[in-house]
Formats: sequence, structure tokens, C-alpha cells
Amino acid sequence: MKSIKGESFEVRLEDDNHTVAFRGALRLSGMEDYAPILELLKSTLVEPARPIVLDLRELDFLNSSGITMFSRFVIEARDHTGVDLKFLASESIHWHARSLKNLQRLMPALIIQLT
Amino acid sequence: MTNQTFGYYGQELGERHEYLTLAFSPLSAPLRSRWRNNGLSADFLGDYVTTFLPADGSTAAAEGGQNEIKHAVTYIANELLENAMKYHEHSVDVPIGIHLELTSTQITVSATNGISNEQAQCYREFVERILQEDPGELLVRQLEESAGSEKSTKSCLGLLTIISDYGAQLGWRFETHATYPEIMTVSTSAVLPLKNLYGVSA
Repeated sequence: MKSIKGESFEVRLEDDNHTVAFRGALRLSGMEDYAPILELLKSTLVEPARPIVLDLRELDFLNSSGITMFSRFVIEARDHTGVDLKFLASESIHWHARSLKNLQRLMPALIIQLT
Repeated sequence: MTNQTFGYYGQELGERHEYLTLAFSPLSAPLRSRWRNNGLSADFLGDYVTTFLPADGSTAAAEGGQNEIKHAVTYIANELLENAMKYHEHSVDVPIGIHLELTSTQITVSATNGISNEQAQCYREFVERILQEDPGELLVRQLEESAGSEKSTKSCLGLLTIISDYGAQLGWRFETHATYPEIMTVSTSAVLPLKNLYGVSA
């Protein structure tokens, strides 16, 4: 398991190497600060492609730089042949339904599972 | 340069109920160390606003509506403060402010900072684009464009999400600073109509 921790958040790549779980509040100051997390996400894009799951159910807050980071990953996944990408989201965390739909506009095949 | 307003700025609707202003002196700490302060301040404004919303809390829907408003205020305040901190003109001692105002029909969150005349011109051009184009489409286009560049771009993505994802109306005021004519102060204001948020009214 590999993880990146900050004062208010944790990002964990599970041992299966295709599930990434996010927890807490992500409000880093720009793409340079988000680069290690984006690199960790990109490490799931391997050949042959496997389903990738991003579990956001415990990610309470994400700033717009974080939205940019997810957009970059989604675009990279979209342009990678055969990748199935799924976001696990929560109905009780209001930004999930509001903002994740924009990622679907970038990658129509993206699955957002709200529970 | 003359003073100008754009968009939905200074539209007072209903009786003024409550307001709160926080001000920061940007000379007192470097940007990185005051970044944490953005989150703390935004969380505080989000918590604060719920004090003035219906407090019966008797139904899950009422509680859900309160959480929705709290989150919207926190997100908007955080984005406006981040932009104010990032683009503030640090060469002069002008404070950065964040202001929350509640009337019977709407919540207004606004941030004020100093910017160079050159930055003001860039920002004004972006504001004009926001006002002319569909914000949802502009948002998706900016996301695509930002993915193509390795460096951070001044995409003002936060402003587009405030309009597109939260249904807020944005307005701007650019003013030449009275003491430092070489800079301008810019106020960016986001108005959330309470009726759009789960039918809750204050």
C-alpha cells in the first residue's frame, strides 16, 4: 500500500494497485502541490488496462485545483485504450453530485456511483 | 483607469440581516504559510451562516438543506480567498478581505484584494468571457485546456465552478486605489439565492 498524507487528507493506493481511496479535505495551493497525487493516480494506468476505482466517499472537500487534478487524470484515462474508470461518491457530501458530473462530460464512459 | 462594475454586483435584495468581514494583512506571512488560513476562514464562514438559517432541524430535509448551504458557502469562500491570495499585489500594504452577508432572500460572499493594473486588465478580459459565454461549456473547455499544459494556468476555474456547480451569480467591481494609484482593488462577489438551495429561506 502506498499513501500520501497531509495535515487534512490522506490518499491511499491499495495493494491491488487499481483502487485509490481519498479521505478528508483536499485544498492544496495549485497543480505543483497536487503533482504527487496525480502521479500516484497515473500509476494505476498500466498495460493491460484494468478497471480503476477512485473511492471519494470520505473526501469531504475538494478545491478547484483538486478538480483540475481529477480532470487531468480523467483525460489521461480516457486517452488510454481500454480503461474502465469508476468514482465511488456519497450522496451526503454535496459537492460530489454537483461537481463530478463535469468529469463525465470529459469522459462519457466514466461511471459515478452515488450511494 | 475608471471604476467599473460587471455582472451581478451590489444587488441588494431584501432587508440586510447579518454580515461578517474578515481582513488579512498579506505582508504578515508568506503565501504558503497563510494558505491554511484560507481553509480555516472558509470553514468558519460556512459554520457561521448556518446560525442564521432555520434552526428547527426537525426533518432530515431541513438538515440536508443546511448542510448544502454550509458547503456552498465554504466552497465559494475558499475559492474567492484562494484567488485573492494568489493574485494580490504584494508590493503595497492593502488588506485582503472576505465578506459574508445574509438577507432574507440571499447569501453574498465577496472577496477584495489589490491587483496591478496589468493583472486587472487580464482579469477583466476573463470576466467579459464569463459574461458572454455559457459557463458550463467554458468550464469543460478550460478543464480540457488545463490538462494539455503542464504548468498551472490562470484558468479561473474556481469562478466557473461557483457559477456552474453552485448556481451563484457573480459580480465584479474594479476601483483605482485612493492611496496607491498604481494598483486597483477588485471585489469579486458571489450571490446565492436561498430559494435555489432546497427551498430554504432565512
